[in-house]
Amino acid sequence: MAVSSPSSNLLLLLLISSLDWLSTPGSAFLIDWDHMTSSAPLEPHFTECISRDQETFRCWWSPGTFHNLSSPGALRVFYLKKESPTSEWKECPEYIHSNRECFFDVNHTSVWIPYCMQLRGQNNVTYFNEDDCFTVENIVRPDPPVSLNWTLLNISPSGLSYDVMVNWEPPPSADVGAGWMRIEYEIQYRERNSTNWEALEIQPHTQQTIFGLHIGKEYEVHIRCRMQAFVKFGEFSDSVFIQVTEIPTKESTIPLTLVLVFGILGILILIMLIVVSQQHRLMMVLLPPVPAPKIKGIDSELLKKGKLDELNFILTGGGMGGLPTYAPDFYQDEPWVEFIEVDADDGDSGGKEDNRGSDTQRLLGLPHPVSHRMNMGCSNAISFPDDDSGRASCYDADLPEQDTLMLMATLLPGQPEDEEASLDVEERASERSERSLVPTQTGGPQTWVNTDFYAQVSNVMPSGGVVLSPGQQLRIQESTSATEDEPHKGKEGEDGDETEELKQKELQFQLLVVDPEGNGYTTESNVRQISTPPSSPAPGEGYQTIHPQPVETKPAATAEDNQSPYILPDSPQSQFFAPVADYTVVQELDSHHSLLLNPPPRQSPPPCLPQHPLKAPMPVGYITPDLLGNLSP
Amino acid sequence: MHIMAAIQRGVWALLLWPSLLTVSMPLDCKEEQGSLSGCTSISQEKLLDRVIHHAELIYRVSEESCSLFEEMFLPFPLRLQSSQAGYACITKALPMPSSKSEIQQISDKWLLHSVLMLVQSWIEPLVYLQTTMDRYDHAPDMLLNKTKWVSDKLISLEQGVVVLIKKMLDEGTLATTDSEQSLFQYDVQPEMLESVMRDYTLLSCFKKDAHKMETFLKLLKCRQTDNCP
Repeated sequence: MAVSSPSSNLLLLLLISSLDWLSTPGSAFLIDWDHMTSSAPLEPHFTECISRDQETFRCWWSPGTFHNLSSPGALRVFYLKKESPTSEWKECPEYIHSNRECFFDVNHTSVWIPYCMQLRGQNNVTYFNEDDCFTVENIVRPDPPVSLNWTLLNISPSGLSYDVMVNWEPPPSADVGAGWMRIEYEIQYRERNSTNWEALEIQPHTQQTIFGLHIGKEYEVHIRCRMQAFVKFGEFSDSVFIQVTEIPTKESTIPLTLVLVFGILGILILIMLIVVSQQHRLMMVLLPPVPAPKIKGIDSELLKKGKLDELNFILTGGGMGGLPTYAPDFYQDEPWVEFIEVDADDGDSGGKEDNRGSDTQRLLGLPHPVSHRMNMGCSNAISFPDDDSGRASCYDADLPEQDTLMLMATLLPGQPEDEEASLDVEERASERSERSLVPTQTGGPQTWVNTDFYAQVSNVMPSGGVVLSPGQQLRIQESTSATEDEPHKGKEGEDGDETEELKQKELQFQLLVVDPEGNGYTTESNVRQISTPPSSPAPGEGYQTIHPQPVETKPAATAEDNQSPYILPDSPQSQFFAPVADYTVVQELDSHHSLLLNPPPRQSPPPCLPQHPLKAPMPVGYITPDLLGNLSP
Repeated sequence: MHIMAAIQRGVWALLLWPSLLTVSMPLDCKEEQGSLSGCTSISQEKLLDRVIHHAELIYRVSEESCSLFEEMFLPFPLRLQSSQAGYACITKALPMPSSKSEIQQISDKWLLHSVLMLVQSWIEPLVYLQTTMDRYDHAPDMLLNKTKWVSDKLISLEQGVVVLIKKMLDEGTLATTDSEQSLFQYDVQPEMLESVMRDYTLLSCFKKDAHKMETFLKLLKCRQTDNCP
């Protein structure tokens, strides 16, 4: 009955299924018998049945542990095609004994109809497993796709990863074009040295994109396919290798060159700015200015021509008692300027006696502070150069002596009537060539004649005057006397004397008048006059006495007469005056507060002039300050 | 995992419901003059494509349902009964081609009628399947939804094939499956195992026939186009 047949079929199905538990463990290639033990003897069974194109299929069998059935022909394959309930077992249409394979061609293959496979040995021994029944569409494992190929899609902006489009062709055996088989594909890829495959999503199209591959690494790609909505995959195709190495594009180099160019330009501009802003400093380094001494508190403008009055005013302490140390510093912002600070002389008259007063104080050791000090304001520091090239620059402290000397030379704040003379001094000072003290003696009334700091007191006059021995600055007198020889020619009218004088320039001594009472140095002209007339009484014992005389600028008529009280050494008579020691020990003071000095010991000729006066040996009888302290001015 | 694939497909199939609804709509219209309003005529190719699409979806969902059912209810030893379920599959009176060569030899008419017959034969069993599965204690909703969906789509597929036949073969409307006798009798409340086995057999057989339908339609389409191998 048609109605009951389904139910009876179902019952039969149930019975068979229940019997399945009791059946011997067969091959049942459709399922995995992982839990089955292999201890039981394995009878001949089918290993696998596969269809590649849903039009044909093959079945392989194995004899199992029954090796006596391994020979070809020992086992025969029978199949049952359940087209109708009256179907019969038929033998394999085509044997391939070398593979133990049974091939079903197109004529013997029907889709959607169950097949059952059976092995039969000799003597009708049947090895049959119910699990070996199938329908063809369920055993389809398509061939792998062919023509697997890849193209580079793009590279990431960072240049580290890229995308690849993989394309392929469906297997030729699968009739996809006609729609006979609907196939979907699965791409798998991995790095060259790794073991895990990355599987992409299964999809039915014949191309797929792989994202995020890394530059420089090599990838292996293969593909397989299966019928859509089915389970069994076909085999993998051959692998294709993908590798993209870094391509140095032109665009990546262009920014680099631009960056370099702009960087260099920026650096150049920066250097230019630095040069322009620090121009003065660079000029100082490259072209150091010529140093020139400066006097603290005095503007260099005053030293120029035509401003003597102001300078005099300042130097005389215009209302402030000399050059105060706290005078406005004109060169305050120039630390390299070496200043010569000239302090005010409290006691004596004005600025005329500045140097003299200081010298005297030095000699006498008075507590009045002597500030012959140089303001070495700089120590090799670079300072801004002035426009005037004759400025002093910094010198090393290693040569203080020369500086001291030269600065001493310029100590005389007298008004250089000759600008040239002052410039001479400055130039000489700058050149450091002359070591001799060249005083700027230009005949100013305030000129301190003697630049020698130390003079030996030969004799003390009862009137209170002190007779000084000649110093060593004969050359100075020569030059100065030479310059003033001519102007006073007419005055004195002693040509012969002058000539003699000229000859005996070396012999002329410079007489200093120390007037403890006060004013007046002898001017140069006076000194000249003192030295000029040869007619003078013999010096006697070598002492010289000089009376203080009023300063006379032009003692033309009374030159001779004025000079009478002066006792001059008999210069033309003796070439060398008995060398008088520069320094004499003061033995005692007499009642008139006169110094009684020892006779100077015989001494060798005075050392040569070019010798550095400071280097001259110290005389024996140097008056120490403490001794002089007992002396009253 | 099989479950994950099944879930994915189920979700995908469920998402396609609206599209299928829109597809099924033109199938209702009749070509008679002054018939239903809002019926836009559709080309034969497009209709065939839609029908094929239907068939593909139905097959996919049925396959997912079958595998889901198999995992849920079938004990492991009984898993491979699908092969033996071939016995219980309903064989039609009309002989059907079973190979590609055979299919290529038969005419369009035969193909279409075969498809129609298949579709019509499965409408009722699927309805029955739904009722039986509701009786299960812990049937997953996804399975129930899938089976419901499949039965619905099968009906629309039938309608589409009818229209297609009308278009391609210029035939009149064919009778529906109401005339067919129901193959399943529910006299006795079946036992659980028997019910499960029956349902499983039903599902696997339906899966096979769905594949057959799809293949028929595809070959038919290929035949319509020029570049068919």
